[in-house]
Amino acid sequence: MSLLALHNITKSFGPLKALTDLSFEVGHREVVGLLGDNGAGKSTTVNMLSGIHRPSSGYISVDGQRHDFTCRSDSAEAGIETIYQNTALVDCLSISRNIFLGRELTDRFGFLDLKKMRDIAMQVLESAVHISGIDSPDKLVGDLSGGQKQAVAIARAVFFKRRVLLLDEPTSALSVRETEALLNQVLKLKEEGVSSVLVTHNLYHAYQVCDRFVIMSHGTKVLDVSKADTTIEQLTQHVVLT
Amino acid sequence: MTHDHAAPSRRSAAEWLHHLLSMPAGAILLVFLLVQLACIIAGLVIPDDFRYLSPQNLGIMMRSVPVLGCLALGAGVLMIAGEFDLSIGSVYTLTAIIMAVLVGLGVDAFLAAPVGLAVGAAIGLINGFFTLRFNLPSFIVTLGGLLFWRGAVLLINGAVQVRFDPNPVFNALFSGTIFGINAAFIWFVALCLVFWAMLHRHRLGNHIFATGGNRAAATAIGVNTGRIKMIAFAIAGFMAAFAGILATTRVGSVQPGQGAGLELQAIAACVIGGLSLRGGRGSILGVFLGVMLIFTITDVLLLLRAPGFYLDMFIASLIVLASIFNHSLDRRGANT
Repeated sequence: MSLLALHNITKSFGPLKALTDLSFEVGHREVVGLLGDNGAGKSTTVNMLSGIHRPSSGYISVDGQRHDFTCRSDSAEAGIETIYQNTALVDCLSISRNIFLGRELTDRFGFLDLKKMRDIAMQVLESAVHISGIDSPDKLVGDLSGGQKQAVAIARAVFFKRRVLLLDEPTSALSVRETEALLNQVLKLKEEGVSSVLVTHNLYHAYQVCDRFVIMSHGTKVLDVSKADTTIEQLTQHVVLT
Repeated sequence: MTHDHAAPSRRSAAEWLHHLLSMPAGAILLVFLLVQLACIIAGLVIPDDFRYLSPQNLGIMMRSVPVLGCLALGAGVLMIAGEFDLSIGSVYTLTAIIMAVLVGLGVDAFLAAPVGLAVGAAIGLINGFFTLRFNLPSFIVTLGGLLFWRGAVLLINGAVQVRFDPNPVFNALFSGTIFGINAAFIWFVALCLVFWAMLHRHRLGNHIFATGGNRAAATAIGVNTGRIKMIAFAIAGFMAAFAGILATTRVGSVQPGQGAGLELQAIAACVIGGLSLRGGRGSILGVFLGVMLIFTITDVLLLLRAPGFYLDMFIASLIVLASIFNHSLDRRGANT
């Protein structure tokens, strides 16, 4: 059974049809590349999976169970975390306070257990997410680079046991080294049982880490192929020519 | 050998200074300590001309700080949550008048004071409601509040002063002296500690900083930012009423015009203390030092018998300098 699946999803914004009969699946321990040129409907798909838009018809299922997401926290509860380019972090708070924002560790009276939050944040940053330059969980997120910020967002997702990461154009603002680190991170998380959907129009990044590719064009799926059965040339052709 | 000894200590002094300046209220702390040091030295060298250390002067300081201090604590929490309240000066007068009138009618002060506090918090909630429900700038909503409640004071009471004559226990509790320290000052310091714990060590504070720092992100993560802002508005109104209690008990009467301009002084104290006007940045230590610095400078100018207008000019310069400094900090945070 697939972990996450879209079933015949159509989405219209007034007269504009953004998605037409879109179906694809994300398996357990699988990295899926969602590819396509600008305007193919990738962002609409991500917004649908993270609960921001609701499908006009069709539905989303998690573990075979139908889920109707009405807001972002619905999708988070189902185990899906979206990591945007400008990811949802508060610059003026420290890394550990960001990781635990909204789910703070407190005593009965609501006072923060800062030491425990620090220790866990440090542990997550050291073990699960490894991006150079973060040496202390007390650093302000505003002082981090783009890649480091995404690392913090991923650390948050990992710690709260998300099962699917939606990475929406994660590499577009990153340096070469940061990109490399992020892609390795995606592979490492796969080993630990976290699936990912990598939304990008950089085919080379996708080809490096993805097990399967879903190519979209004009709001619908034009190719769904596993890495073993394709080449980067074939992927390029489908993105460019359809 | 001596060289080896000197080098680490000098480096650690530089490190210490760097550490101090990188703290949220580090720069203001440094300025405050230097001003205090200068005042104390001057007070010791020329005790007859500069009576900074005389018991009378210290007593005046301790009595005058808490009123603005309490207003600034409330205004500061609201500023960190990303909103302003310009009505706190009017609320401060209104709630004091309500309390004094109730006591004049024979109500016990220990009942009248909570009524005043409740009215203050309620007005804060009204400000919050209009701001959030209609998505307006709180600057405009509370500017309306400033004028409305100032008018309401005259409507309720007319332009006459109200005597406040509570029972002696109440008086002792809010304007007495314990071990030579003014009770109102003890209240202020205690409230600073309570606010510090709430803002820097409690979940609520974490959410207040997140709401002011990046509302969209806080909402996305599941913080109820509307509720947090409402709480912050209520705290600002509550603290305005509390400042009213302290001032009224000290003076023994309420003047209908006494709160005018206090809201701006409270915001000034917050800005001097390093709070960002855009929200999300600041500390309770900063608010405390901002208030103390305003009063220290006021006091110095009074002791030097400088004309009153110097006071405004000094405070004004301090505000602008503090903002320039804070803005450069904000920019640094945004660039890297």
